Amino acid sequence: MEHEEIMLGNGAIALGLVESGCQMVTSYPGTPSSEILPEVISRVKAEGLNTYTEWSTNEKVALDNAFAAAVAGKRSACCMKQVGLNVAADSLMSAAYIGNIGGLLIISCDDPGPHSSQTEQDTRFMARLAKVPVLDPGDPQEAREMVKFGMDLSEEFQIPVVLRPAIRVCHARQNISPEPIKTGEQKASFEKNPSRWAATPKFRLMLHGELNRKLKEIGERFSSANHFNFHNLEHDRHYALGIVAGGVPSAVIRDILAEEGRNDIPLLKIGTPFPFPDALADEFASACDRLLVIEETDTLIEYLLRDRNRVLGRLTGHVPEQGELVPEVVYGVVNRVLKELGLNPFKREEDIAVRELVKNLELPVRRPSLCPGCPHRASFYAIRKAIPKAIFTSDIGCYTLGLNLGGVDTCLDMGAAITMASGFYHSFEQDGKKQPIVATIGDSTFFHSGTAGLLNAVYNNARFVLVILDNEVTAMTGMQPTPGIGIRADGSEAKSISLERIVSGCGVEYIEVVDPYDLEGMNTVLKKAFEYTESRDGGIAAIISRHPCVIDNHEKAIPKKIKVQVTDDCTSCNFCLERFECPALYYDDDLGRVNINRHICADCGLCIQVCPQKAIVEVKEH
Amino acid sequence: METTNIVLCGLGGQGILFMTKVLAQAALDKGHNLMCAETHGMAQRGGSVVSHLRIGDAKGSLVQEGTAHLVLALEENEGYRNLPFLARGAGFYVNADRRKFPKEGLKPFFEQKEIRFRSVDAGKLAMELGAPMSLNLALLGFFSAFGDGPLTHEEIRTTIESITAKRFRDINLRLFDAGFEKGSMLL
Repeated sequence: MEHEEIMLGNGAIALGLVESGCQMVTSYPGTPSSEILPEVISRVKAEGLNTYTEWSTNEKVALDNAFAAAVAGKRSACCMKQVGLNVAADSLMSAAYIGNIGGLLIISCDDPGPHSSQTEQDTRFMARLAKVPVLDPGDPQEAREMVKFGMDLSEEFQIPVVLRPAIRVCHARQNISPEPIKTGEQKASFEKNPSRWAATPKFRLMLHGELNRKLKEIGERFSSANHFNFHNLEHDRHYALGIVAGGVPSAVIRDILAEEGRNDIPLLKIGTPFPFPDALADEFASACDRLLVIEETDTLIEYLLRDRNRVLGRLTGHVPEQGELVPEVVYGVVNRVLKELGLNPFKREEDIAVRELVKNLELPVRRPSLCPGCPHRASFYAIRKAIPKAIFTSDIGCYTLGLNLGGVDTCLDMGAAITMASGFYHSFEQDGKKQPIVATIGDSTFFHSGTAGLLNAVYNNARFVLVILDNEVTAMTGMQPTPGIGIRADGSEAKSISLERIVSGCGVEYIEVVDPYDLEGMNTVLKKAFEYTESRDGGIAAIISRHPCVIDNHEKAIPKKIKVQVTDDCTSCNFCLERFECPALYYDDDLGRVNINRHICADCGLCIQVCPQKAIVEVKEH
Repeated sequence: METTNIVLCGLGGQGILFMTKVLAQAALDKGHNLMCAETHGMAQRGGSVVSHLRIGDAKGSLVQEGTAHLVLALEENEGYRNLPFLARGAGFYVNADRRKFPKEGLKPFFEQKEIRFRSVDAGKLAMELGAPMSLNLALLGFFSAFGDGPLTHEEIRTTIESITAKRFRDINLRLFDAGFEKGSMLL
């Protein structure tokens, strides 16, 4: 039997990349894309390949680097989450016109749900906007094949290709057989051609025309049935209803139709939604009275079908306009359409009773929370205590969960802690009002998008306290290294970039480094910093709150374990539960007071500093 | 073969992913195709964690509500949260105090749907053996005693032995065996 591995979807994508001879892979971590680059690196190491990999500082940087490699003739790829493609959009739009020599694959992972994102935006529309082909896989194996297909297509037509795996591809696992891997052998070369590589608007018009010609040709190729686009119409048969689906929902609907044994409902599966396979879709539509479109997350296929009069989908209210199309939702959607059209319904009815039953159990709501021992908890506790009346602008990362401690009031996008702080400052200052503002941003987020906003804030005389939560890692997405710690993606040594020097270089004159585990010390520094922002000759005050992530480096984060217990002095004031919000602290009904959950307590001992009754004490072991 | 749908649930940090990996690898070693769906990212920070495992020729990774043949819960309330996944005649295996399981008012539901509901205090068992973080193995051992689903006790045990890191192998097998013993006593 051939050797098979159980592979994460992102691992299958990584396998496709090395199998396609990709010579450079760049990425900025973001759920659900984060595992692609580490999986590439582990393949590269295992096979001894010469593939350049990097964690780039942001997605635009990642795309620009990969683009340059493709211009130099090499196959390259960059990986990011869907909102990361917004950051890289400037590059994408322009790269589409200029085109590439070696294959260039842009992997942008969508998050219908959303499970771990600000939006449910649909990468396919971004590809449509940029006028580049987009591939939409339904499972890990198809994603792997599409990587190789996309790389070939990109190279043949000299056009960037977008792969859009959704979270149920990225974080699915499937058994997959790896094939022998060929190393990319292309040597870098750059042929000067300013009218293309540095095109001015006059040449851009020509490049746009060329792009349109490429798209037309690719569209024709996509249009006939192929490995990714197919239907199961029977010859000369006519149907009351046909389903058009792409990506993950196409896998869901194939399972449902098979289980229900419904060969009276044909399926058109579309893996290449743009350029749209018009001829294939027309052929399918002509055999069906009605079409139901099931796609994630938006309405690309629905918009691109030429005759929309017979189409049911989101635009007609038949498919939910937000949220993930999980199997029970798809089942319900199709079943309702079957009934509406007077066709045989599915075998099973939706079980509303069981949902009622679960609802009536009043199960505890589990909200995500900062880990026990997390240094961010200490920072937020200190910030709220020192400057309680402030507006707390914050950012994207684990520390967004500071909202549980009342320490996060806003979260817009990467870097907006700083830009919104300056925006708020000017809005209130304009009215002659003094409004304290504290911005919190993580180290990785600051490296990603902090400096432009900070330069701007300093330049335009904004005043606020900036706290950089430096836990020396990109924690939320799975412990990727940051430029600050001197380690690269593959574990090799790197030049470590100093946050202090960047902040200073941006023109900030007040910089303090604190350890948030010293709550009292941080409190004092915060108050001093706030005074500086209010003083006549003051400005922006930056505090670097530095302590390692408790998950990434437990030993360094908690060098001395402090076992705590709650004494009978606890008055159940609940101050610790509400203001410190550590998952290891809970109200014990049997004892009638707060207690410690020993299974999850990190032994950081911070709560000793928090309890107003001094009822949390260290356990003295004899 | 007909697809076997399994939902595994609990809280972040309880070892759902490892438990899923064991069953998936055992199924693969037996020559089955499989699809799993995992929880990553924000949801992992102490919240509810669910993973889906489909053994057979399914195309999609998610189990549809009402079609799970098995639900394995490392935490009792998380088990109840996932009740909608249970199919008629399914097996429901939960880490819970046997004296208090199941929660009041649920027996009629289980009986009406012909659901086999079984619990073991896996947390206590793991604590007694000095490995509170390995309660997932205890539940898996307990489950394996009933021969429910396409994998046998021996197949699951062999897989644990082959995929566990060396330093955890002994303790993992001890917990698995202890859970198995608890289950065997109920047969």
